Amino acid sequence: MLHSYRRDDTIMPRTITAQNLQALIDALIAANIRVVGPKRVDSLCLYAPLAKGEELDLSELPRRSAKETFLPPAEEILSFERQGASTSVRSPDLSRLPATVLIGARPCDAAAPGILDAVFSWDYQDDFFLERRRKTTIVGIACTKADDACFCTAVGLSPDSRQGSDLFLTPLEGDSYAAEALTDKGAALLERHPELFVQGETGRPLPLAEPRAAKVDLAKIKTWLDGHFESPFWGEIASHCVGCGTCAFLCPTCHCFDIVDEGSEAAGCRRKFWDACGFSKFTLHASSHNPRNTQADRFRNRVMHKFKYYHDKFGRTLCTGCGRCIRACPVGIDLVAVLEDINTQG
Amino acid sequence: MNQTAQNLDSAPLVDETYYAAVTEAIRAEAARLLTDGRVAAVIGYVAGRRAGSALPAVITTPERAGELIFSPACRNNLSVYLTKPKQDAVPKGKLAIVVKGCDLRALAGLLGESQIRRENLHIIGIACAGVFAANVDQSLPLSEATIAKKCRECTVHLPKEVDFMAGTLPMLPQLAPVEAEELARLEALTPAERWAFWKEQFSRCIRCLACRQVCPFCFCTQCLCDRNRPQTVENSVRPAGNLSWHIVRAMHLAGRCAGCAECERACPMDIPLNLLNRKMAEELKERFDYEAGLSPQEKGPLTSYQEDDDESFIK
Repeated sequence: MLHSYRRDDTIMPRTITAQNLQALIDALIAANIRVVGPKRVDSLCLYAPLAKGEELDLSELPRRSAKETFLPPAEEILSFERQGASTSVRSPDLSRLPATVLIGARPCDAAAPGILDAVFSWDYQDDFFLERRRKTTIVGIACTKADDACFCTAVGLSPDSRQGSDLFLTPLEGDSYAAEALTDKGAALLERHPELFVQGETGRPLPLAEPRAAKVDLAKIKTWLDGHFESPFWGEIASHCVGCGTCAFLCPTCHCFDIVDEGSEAAGCRRKFWDACGFSKFTLHASSHNPRNTQADRFRNRVMHKFKYYHDKFGRTLCTGCGRCIRACPVGIDLVAVLEDINTQG
Repeated sequence: MNQTAQNLDSAPLVDETYYAAVTEAIRAEAARLLTDGRVAAVIGYVAGRRAGSALPAVITTPERAGELIFSPACRNNLSVYLTKPKQDAVPKGKLAIVVKGCDLRALAGLLGESQIRRENLHIIGIACAGVFAANVDQSLPLSEATIAKKCRECTVHLPKEVDFMAGTLPMLPQLAPVEAEELARLEALTPAERWAFWKEQFSRCIRCLACRQVCPFCFCTQCLCDRNRPQTVENSVRPAGNLSWHIVRAMHLAGRCAGCAECERACPMDIPLNLLNRKMAEELKERFDYEAGLSPQEKGPLTSYQEDDDESFIK
């Protein structure tokens, strides 16, 4: 665990107005802290570094998850330069990664980095991910709006789940938020600007979102997956998958990456960048053999990784039910429908 | 773009009975074809779990023909499933395919590029009133507020030379073009402003390649942009590679793109890719008097040579 959880009675609930929340962001930015939060970019809402508090837009679930705060779409992992006969190789200086506050993360996004800690600190300590984790405070926010792609409640979370949040905001009537510190990091953020908060909860909480997806039995699904690596089911549900990376790239927990050298012989760098098991070249061997030769094989891997392999290895489900894969799949593959099917068969 | 989609009329454009009639016609034709063994499968649409949603399906038995539907959510250009990279999705043999007018253009292109044979297809055309835009609530009716941009300017509501026509076209109101206006707005910008616009758009690209994967004309078994030894286009998600990828994509589709706009619909980052496609099509029309059209054409202007080709650009 990266945080020590502390929930003692000395931390009373506090309230912050929407206006003061913006002021908090401005104060953090003024103190050279990077603040990432939902922001309007053209037609969509994305988690992005905020330039000022008023950019914060909490009206909808951002199109991409917040995982890029910890695992950017692409990043340099070393650089090289040839000088005469010798080549120098440099590692990036991770101490330069900025202290960050991720603000306005929905429960499905706030929970994801903690789930990923397991794989990034397993046999190899991934300093790129872990250093960002150490330096980031997550301010989660309860959800008051859900659509029929949302299914956090089906995978053990909820619209007011505190999992993964250091500080948690609950929207109250009258345009303010109850603020609850859950970790030392969260408490430190509260203490930093006490003048922006008032003691106690000053309004009634807004009604929480009600995801409509039916609850599924994850243990039952896991048991079914244990015995159905080979099954016509995979072809039935995913033969029409077109093999893009949309589901994986929007997903808060998909974390596979590829590594490539870019630049020239004279100078360049090695980058890691997001990869997706839906791509046909994901497991393509140099011999041209592909152990996952069809889209059905590839989609099976996606489901197995989330609901079986990650569970086998780390005892966790690699899904927070955000529903982004469902909303964005260009061919309508619906993970909830898949889970419901397995739940019925199992 | 999004701004223009606001404040539009949400009154239904067509009556529900229209969809029921088209659906019934597709089901009857599919059942007949599958019962008689005339085709190995019918590629069509079925309803999804979410309210009002639809998804592609490959139906191989007459018992399942009753699952086929047509609704404004039937947006996919199914002709992508006839291309080589998607061959695992369909059985071998003659196939029936449900197509809208815009999809039929892609079929014509694929026929022209010898990717498919007409005699191996049974084309079920839709008398199409239009489909939803991306990211709309599909439980709502098709309206001026929810219709796709391409449908606002549709000239092919009735696909031609099909084997079977499902439904009859209802009366449709004239809708003001949105995409043409957006293209005109971009063309009126200075090159520096236009550059800034596209740089901003491409900066959002995450290289999920949905634009490539849904495109009927992106049927290369090895895409240049996937290669890393040697690397032609940067693989990693960065401005330079993103820009290269989108330029390669637009150029490779010039004179081939049939305007189904699936790339733009599939883009999870709302990049208006069809503006590029349209611009390329306009250039082809202006310089070569060529349109990727409704009938199979042997070779497009970018894959053929003629003695009188304009060479004035060579300096």
